[in-house]
Amino acid sequence: MLAVCLTLMARLVRVVNFSQAATGMFGGFVAVWLVSNAGMPVWLATVIGILIGGALSAIIGWIIATWLAEADTSTRSAVTVGPLLLLISLSFILFGNKPQPFRPILAGPAFSVGGVVVSQVTVVTVVLAIVVAVGCRIILAKTSAGTQLRALSERPTTAELLGIPAKLLSVGVWTVTGMISALVVSIVAPSQSNDATSLAMLIVPAAAAALLGGFRRLDLAVVGGLALGILQGLVAQIDQISFVRNFVPFLFIVGFLLWLQRKEVWDASR
Amino acid sequence: MSTLKLDNVTVSRGAGPVIRDVSLRVDSGSITALVGPNGAGKTSLLESISGVIDPSSGDIRLDDEPLGKLSRVKRARRGLVHIEQGRAVFPSLTVEENIRLTARTQAGVDEAFDRFPELAKRRGNASGLLSGGEQQMVVLARAFASRPRFLLIDEMSLGLAPVVFMRLLPMIEQISKDGVGVLLVEQFTHLALGVADTAVVAASGRVTYQGDAATLKNSPELLHRAYLGGAP
Amino acid sequence: MLRARNTALRAAGVPLIVAIVAVAVGYGLSVVLSDYLVFLGTTAIVAAIAILGLGVVTGSAGMISLCQLTFAAIGAWVVAWLNTIDAPGGFILWLVLGALAAGVVGILVGLPALRLRGVNLAVVTLGFAAAADVTLVQIQFPGATAGVSVLRPDLFSDDRSYFLLAVLAMAICAVIIHFVQHSRLGSSWKSVAFSERGTASVGASVSSSKLTAFAISAALGGVSGGLVVGQVGLAFPSSFSPIQSLALYVLSIMSGAHLVDMAIFGGILWVVVPELLKRWGVPQDWAFVIFGALGVQALTSGSNLGTGIRNVWWKRQLQRAGRTVNTLGEGVEAAGAAAPQPPAPVSTGAPVLVVEDLSVAFGNIKALKNVSLTVPEHSIMGLIGPNGAGKSTLVDAISGFLPQHTGAISLGGKPLHGLSPTRRARLGLRRTFQQDRVPPGLTIGAYMRFVARRRTTPSEVEDLLQFMGCPPSSSRLAAVDVGTRRLVEVAANILSKPRVLLLDEPAAGLSHEEHVDLGRRLLQVPERYGVSVLLIEHDLDMVRSVCSTLTVLDFGEVLDQGPQDEVLANPAVIKAYMGETEML
Repeated sequence: MLAVCLTLMARLVRVVNFSQAATGMFGGFVAVWLVSNAGMPVWLATVIGILIGGALSAIIGWIIATWLAEADTSTRSAVTVGPLLLLISLSFILFGNKPQPFRPILAGPAFSVGGVVVSQVTVVTVVLAIVVAVGCRIILAKTSAGTQLRALSERPTTAELLGIPAKLLSVGVWTVTGMISALVVSIVAPSQSNDATSLAMLIVPAAAAALLGGFRRLDLAVVGGLALGILQGLVAQIDQISFVRNFVPFLFIVGFLLWLQRKEVWDASR
Repeated sequence: MSTLKLDNVTVSRGAGPVIRDVSLRVDSGSITALVGPNGAGKTSLLESISGVIDPSSGDIRLDDEPLGKLSRVKRARRGLVHIEQGRAVFPSLTVEENIRLTARTQAGVDEAFDRFPELAKRRGNASGLLSGGEQQMVVLARAFASRPRFLLIDEMSLGLAPVVFMRLLPMIEQISKDGVGVLLVEQFTHLALGVADTAVVAASGRVTYQGDAATLKNSPELLHRAYLGGAP
Repeated sequence: MLRARNTALRAAGVPLIVAIVAVAVGYGLSVVLSDYLVFLGTTAIVAAIAILGLGVVTGSAGMISLCQLTFAAIGAWVVAWLNTIDAPGGFILWLVLGALAAGVVGILVGLPALRLRGVNLAVVTLGFAAAADVTLVQIQFPGATAGVSVLRPDLFSDDRSYFLLAVLAMAICAVIIHFVQHSRLGSSWKSVAFSERGTASVGASVSSSKLTAFAISAALGGVSGGLVVGQVGLAFPSSFSPIQSLALYVLSIMSGAHLVDMAIFGGILWVVVPELLKRWGVPQDWAFVIFGALGVQALTSGSNLGTGIRNVWWKRQLQRAGRTVNTLGEGVEAAGAAAPQPPAPVSTGAPVLVVEDLSVAFGNIKALKNVSLTVPEHSIMGLIGPNGAGKSTLVDAISGFLPQHTGAISLGGKPLHGLSPTRRARLGLRRTFQQDRVPPGLTIGAYMRFVARRRTTPSEVEDLLQFMGCPPSSSRLAAVDVGTRRLVEVAANILSKPRVLLLDEPAAGLSHEEHVDLGRRLLQVPERYGVSVLLIEHDLDMVRSVCSTLTVLDFGEVLDQGPQDEVLANPAVIKAYMGETEML
């Protein structure tokens, strides 16, 4: 799910946003705080949290679009490590480093297949991931803003020379992805170990899944996310290899990528 | 009637000036050919007009409005369209999407296809899969659809067979007849001079000829001198 | 000459003296400071060593590594494990073994870097950090659960003397890194960061540059991890979390850790900032907020403290030295002008570079069609033709960057088929690039030595630089303009004494007068240095004055070939050159 966001960003605004999950986490935490301290209803707090996630993301996006418009993807991405650290620490300060009492928005098993219980959260996340991926595809393919975005991602300078407002569009992408990730975190958080660090570190599996799609293909990112989850579940059942278990998905992705890029002997641009 | 005017423009790149003290004007409805050997700084000059790079000195005005610090996007919105070197299509976008980027309305798209009927039958194809000549046609159609006041065209012929380029030239002429001022940078000197009203030759970072295009075209000595300096 | 030896002595001596002074100061501090400060100081030094490692892989070699503390954890784990099994050799040996183990893992993690670049690599390293972190939490450090703390060496058993040990380790690491950074290996890191093709084209292996950077960086991480275990006795995974690796990365970017002093400064920051906050009663978590914000600032402005400070200093130096440089420049002009010679008559030398039936296709587009040419020994052949005629493609193919080409290329009778650009460069086939591929992080002298790949004397280097009209070897490449940088590139490749040198528009970015100057100098190159040259050039004046034979390419095919005057007299050639093939 986050992988979809990451891919979207990488494709459209040439950045791999390491703080993607962190902005979502922060939005989610604000929501929790609002619920427990200001007594807001869960849905309202969640909406505000999502908006804050979007706003935070927009700020980062604005910084990058303003000062690093011409920089390469690596530099732009490296910058997002800063906000990641910043947001984690800030949430330690504001909300403490204890896991947050996320009020589950969704709970309970949805159905069970052959004795394996599939929870509602899982179903909703998977569906949401697919919906967002498909939705983005449609928006990109059918709307004029989508066409402009695709144009921008292919030849930024040419697009600007045609009068396409690059900055506005990219900040927009940042905002939307920020909101989506806040939503995702709000849904997923109750079922996860939900302290700031682990939530922000959701970025790691997300990035791994997105890597599978080479940060370009949304469908592969969704597949990657699912495959990663299944793979992790599978190796978790085999006790003998519990030592290497954490490395299996990692190795899988690296192996896959190396195979994909085996011909990329030379750095394309340098 | 509008004018694009350059006054003593010098453009630098890293090392120092690549082209210096260029003064020229382009009027709407006319074609100015900017020719000269490779490395004369023609591309850099175009880039300074459209705002890709900033000139190190000099003044560029569009209808007496100094372009100065206007962003590329704003310049494009003022009707100054720069067609870059190489095939500047968005390869994964279809022909129609490429044109829709600037046309904005369906009527605009239709008009572009009326003007470039050869593209109409390709409208659904990804533009990256078209032939070189067709891609440049897409670029022209896209520029046309944006209703520009001035077109800066940088080596549209690059990598094209001359015959293919010869089919594009009338299209450029037609756009200019609609009242668009064209600044045409070309390495096919004679072809460019054939359609141009005025000619500017740049060699070794300086303007070595400025004047009537036909005169230059018909005088091999003049052309030779402008290109190669004093050499015979 | 005496001065040269003095400089060499100073280059070797100063870092050693600084290191000795640093150790002395460290001893002083270890006596004077309070217990608490000594403990903090040790932490700072440990962090500094880790940052030093990051400086190698990220600062110099330009690869984003987000798992530095994982390497530290490996070092720590090995030390702790050797301690629990009571391995012989004591702490110091364990520390070295820990560093070695981390280095080996570093190579393994570095392997993907051979194909993955930029962000993809960053994600892989972060994934490695996260996976290792989870594993560490599961298996824990040896002895940690049982409470077996690591034994320090007898000599350094209390906190104060342990601080001294840390200072010693730091000094040793710093001196080693200093020398490595200034060696050819260090140059190859900086070169790989700037351009992989550039690195390969001068005969340095891209793979080994990247892997050594990772290995050394990881080894330093291992040392710092080992020191941590010694410092606190028991190691816990929380000291090596990915978040801290990220913070360390940001810190190294911020301080400019490829410079040794700045790495130490980074280490101090690592400790001082949270400590100050604590004193002021601010929660320590704000430290990461500050690091985060400063990191964003450093990355967006593309600068860091280290280079920032140095730039100011260099600017001062330059102002002071301004006059001397100018006079030197004039001297060079005179030397160049002293040898006006017409191009040598067509050389009858034996062929060194033979290209037969070379074709290159990119998808459906044929960039080169059946190109054949022969460069005779000690001659200069010009390669001309309009834009897009395939000149640079030809050079790419000859130098080995386009293995998909068909046809045969041989150098001095030896077929080059299947050889990598690195191997070809080592056989004596060198090239320069149309784009700027000279790593700006080096001084001219370091770059010359790196490219030459052979023993050179300082006077040899200076002579050649003067001959080519380049600034002296102590100048930094970042301080000279692009045109001059490309002259230095040409000079450095000549210094390597290749058999054939392919020059791709070496004069682009120079003025017309400088063009002619360069032409005069190139003319003497075959005789002076025994090099044959294939020169791509647009300026007909220069072509006329330099090249004895010419090959004209048009639309990927050879249009004409032969002695200069005959080729230039061919009307078809002139028309092609002026872009008028359509008139034929």
